[in-house]
Formats: sequence, structure tokens, C-alpha cells
Amino acid sequence: MTAVAQASLAQGRQRKRARNSRAKRETLSFYLFISPWIFGFVFLEVIPLLVGLASSLTNFSGLFDPKTLKWVGAANYVRAFQDPDAVWGLQRTGVYTAFTVPMGLLLAFFLAVLLSQKVRARGFFGVCYYIPGVVPIVGSSWIWRLLMDKNFGLVNAAVSAIWPGRAINWLSSYPMQVLWVLSLWAGIGGSVVIFLAALQSVPRELQEAALIDGAGSFQEFRYVTAPLVTPVIFYQFVTGIIGSLQTAIAPILLAGVKVGGIPPRGSYTYMVHVIRQNFSLSRFGYAAALVWLLFVLILALTLVVFRTQRYWVFYEFEQEGGKAK
Amino acid sequence: MTSMVKANRIPTGSRSVVRRAGPGVWSKRAGRVMLYTLLVVFLAFFMLPMFWLVITAFKTPVEYGSWPIVILPQRWQWKNFHDAVTRLRNPTYPNAALRSLGLAALNGIPDVLTSALVGFGFARHRAPGRNLLFTCMLAMIMVPGLIRTIPTFVIFARLGLINTYWPWLLWGLGSSPYFVFLFRQYFAGFPKELEDAAEIDGCNRWATFWRIFIPNAGPILAVCSIFSFQGNWGDFFTPVIFLKRRQATLAVAMADAYTDPMGNQMITLTLAGVVLFLIPAIIAFALGYRYIKEVAPTSGLKG
Repeated sequence: MTAVAQASLAQGRQRKRARNSRAKRETLSFYLFISPWIFGFVFLEVIPLLVGLASSLTNFSGLFDPKTLKWVGAANYVRAFQDPDAVWGLQRTGVYTAFTVPMGLLLAFFLAVLLSQKVRARGFFGVCYYIPGVVPIVGSSWIWRLLMDKNFGLVNAAVSAIWPGRAINWLSSYPMQVLWVLSLWAGIGGSVVIFLAALQSVPRELQEAALIDGAGSFQEFRYVTAPLVTPVIFYQFVTGIIGSLQTAIAPILLAGVKVGGIPPRGSYTYMVHVIRQNFSLSRFGYAAALVWLLFVLILALTLVVFRTQRYWVFYEFEQEGGKAK
Repeated sequence: MTSMVKANRIPTGSRSVVRRAGPGVWSKRAGRVMLYTLLVVFLAFFMLPMFWLVITAFKTPVEYGSWPIVILPQRWQWKNFHDAVTRLRNPTYPNAALRSLGLAALNGIPDVLTSALVGFGFARHRAPGRNLLFTCMLAMIMVPGLIRTIPTFVIFARLGLINTYWPWLLWGLGSSPYFVFLFRQYFAGFPKELEDAAEIDGCNRWATFWRIFIPNAGPILAVCSIFSFQGNWGDFFTPVIFLKRRQATLAVAMADAYTDPMGNQMITLTLAGVVLFLIPAIIAFALGYRYIKEVAPTSGLKG
């Protein structure tokens, strides 16, 4: 009996050892496979972030001169709150985000709903809506400069047809509005495709069931289809906010100024200000502080948006620890 | 593609059967008219600006600068395109275009490959620390680009990598969180039996990746390659910051108007150059649209 027990014990140990070494090999293989990302994460993400954080606490101006390079503590952060241009830029970024993100989602969702009806040439419409999204920003800014030109623009041609002799200088008087239009023009198509795919992946059986239970088609949409695509709306909402808060290149190119230059007041966004501080004025330390502040803001906003999820985002499967809906 | 087929499978009449006393034929037709009117209005919003760019690129400077505006050019100036390619200096048009292509390859090829490796790592292994690392990776999608770019610029300047193409290769070798995420989602859907069978046949992890997973990852490889190409081809900011003006990519070169020796802007030539610059981006999109439709939504659905 003892011999049998010992034998089985040894066998068990052996199996355990085999399992252990298998697990070890799997771990090793895992880390080998993800090693490119670890390299990127450490050297191209974390170290730059830390260098940025460190330089935001100094008066670093691009020169590693020990005589002038000084630790300034939180001075750059304090300065950011007293810098009227930074505050103005943040306000402009806020105006930009508050309009384009909800408006873009609304229009994209609306178009996706239209396209999810029985529509002939659905593919054609989808492609055409998407195309502006693949136009690089350099191209789309040329397109809108062309359309909004004061003297030769197509939009002013239409305006003067209604209101003869009137020529609006869109690009310098209404730069924020032009920016809105450009970002909606370029951004909606991609979301339409995503929403459309989501709408079409809603199980037919559920929709049919609602209709058979006596729901009108609007009620069916409101209580069955729409809730099922809220996770996609949520995802688009979050990425939309993160992207919009960083807007800088479009205002610069629309104004036709160099990187680090000054676009019209109306489209002087926060990131435009940062780029100017960094690349035209060589205030690396200050610019680093400004970006860190934006990062914190993005983080905070994202957390807030994530917290709102439970009020409006519907997940088919229970999330761990969540309450049943 | 598949979802479309599914959507059309239900007989068209089934919905109206259950509807309460359905709307009359007239209001139904009115609804259709409304629907198509809206679709066409938006079509115009999206496509007219594109057409206007292309049409203007074919005009003479006089036609461009005339008021009331001239809608169509009297004679289509194909010469604009020839001039757009030949008259750019420092760098020349072909030079800038080659640089754009070269950087797209230098960054895109390693980027897609390393992202596939990392995605496979996350999708098909159980290892301590995996979930934490995956969360770290996703969190990086949230970090503003500039918060990285500014200090990276400082570090690379110290290392003497400014005005070289090394940064593009390094970024490529480091993989991209978004692509990793897409690959992970895709590879996670592969059946376990496939992997086991490969192992029994004597494949190690590396061989399983190359012989089983990569050959079956066509759509996601296509999507990532296209996104990567478009990102690089259209990127304006990075080459402005990391390269000299003489090393301008096409995107950077096209941001400024062409000027004649007197310093006057030559808008129609510039626009012709811009149109040529857009063509590769649109071709890449046309080649990959069906894969994009297939893959992109999953990034939100299974998040």
C-alpha cells in the first residue's frame, strides 16, 4: 500500500512538475511575444512621460546647461493658471469639444439609422460618407480653405446669391465654426460605418419579438435596438473626447500658419498654445507642464464618463459585481 | 458583409404584418422620399467639397480668381498636374513622395508585425501579470500624443536622432496599442483546438504563430496595414518636428502653397499637387474598405 501510495505520489509530483514547467514555458513565451510592446512601453512611453514630468518642474529651454537649468518646483503649473492665453485656449478647446463630439455622434447615429433602413445602394452611400475621413488633414484643410475663401469661395458664392454684395471672411471671423464643419465633415463617416455595423448586428429575433409583443416600430427602436448599440456609442464618445481635446493641427493648417504660429483668436486651442510655447518660444518646461495638466483633465473627464456608464450604457452580459438591469 | 446578408434574410413583409394599422401607401412613399432626400443632402455635404477641390485643380489661375465664380473650367488644365510634380523644389515632388512612402514602410511594416506578435501574446497565453499589462497598454491609448512627443523630441535630440529616420523604425518596433488591441480581439476568437493540433504536430509557439495564426489573419493584417499607411502618409506633425525642411514628406510639402519666383502663390498648381497626394490614401481605403467594415466595429463591441 505504501509502495502504491508512494508511486502515485511520485507520479503526482511528476505531473505537477510537468505542469509547472509547462506554465513556466507559457509565461516565458508570453513575455517573449510581448517584448516589442514592453520595449515600446518603457522607452517610448514611460520614459518620455517621466522626462516630461521632470522637465515640467524645471525652466528647461532645450539647452542642457547646468548654469541656467534650474529646478522651479510647481512654478510652471502655477503659471499655467495665470496665463490668460492658456485659459483662453482651454476655453476654445472646450467650445470645440462640446460641439463636435455630441454633434458628430448625433449626426453619425442618425445617418447610420437612415442607412439601416431598406436603402438601395447602401454601400455606395456608406463609402461616400467615409471618404472624407481618409483625406489627410493637409488635404482637408486645403479643401475648406478653398470653400470658405472670402473672395473666391464656393460658400460665399452661395451667400452672395441670397445676399448680393456680401462677402464673409469665414476663416478669420468665424474660425471656430469652420473648424466645426471640417471636423464633422471628416469625422462622421467613420462613425457611421461603425454604428451601421452595430445596428445590423442587433439580433433580428429581439426586434421581431418586440414587434410581436405589440411595440410600435419607434418603441422597438427606443427599447430594443438603441440600448443594444449604446456600448458602441460609449466607445465613440470616449475616443471622441480624447481626440478633440488635443486638436491643434487643423486650426494651424486652416489659418495657413507655420507650426508654432498663431491662428485667429477664435480657433486658438489649448494645444495650439502648447505647441507655440514649445516649438516657437522654446519653453519646454512650461509646455511640458501644460500638457501634463491636459493629461490630468483627460483622465478626469474619462473617469467621469466611465462612471456615467451605468446610467445609459447597456451591456448584454453582466459585468462582475454589477447589479442586474 | 456577413451582417448585411443576415439583415436581408428576413422576408421584407414580416415587419409590416405585425405593425398596427400601417400607414397608407402615400405616407410610406413620402417617408421614402424623405429618407432619400436626407441621404442625398448628406452625400452632397460629404462629396461636393471633394469635387470642388478636384475641379479647382483643373482651372487656370484666372478662372480660379474670377468673380462671379466659374463652376467648371473652360478647358481642363491637365498641365497643372504635370507642373505640380515638376515645379516643387527642396525637396522635389518625387523625392517627397518617396520619402513619404519610405517612412510609411519603415514604420508600418515593423509596426504591424510587432503588434501581431504582441496581440498573439496577449490573446493566447496565460501568464502572471498579463491582465495588468494589458490594462497598462489600453491606458496608453488615452495619453495625449503631444505629452509623449515633446519629451521624445528632447530625448531624441540628445541621442542625435533628430533629422534621421530612426524614430520611425523605433516607433514601429515598439508596436501600437490600438493595433495590438485589434489583433488580440481577432486572435482571441480562434478555436483552441487549432492551437492544440499545431502543438501535437510539433509546432512550438513561434511556429504556431507564423503557420497557423498569421495565415488566417488576412482581414486584420489588411486593416492594420491600411490604418498604418494612412496614418503615416497623412502625418503632418511628426515630420515637421523630427525632420529638416529639406526632408519634407509629401504631407509637409503640400501644406504650403507653391510660389512663383516673384513669391506669388500658385493655388491651382498646389491643389493639383494636393489631389495627387490624396490618391494613394483613397486607393488604400478602396482596397481595404470591406475589411474595415468587418473589423473596425469589433473594437467597440467587445471592449
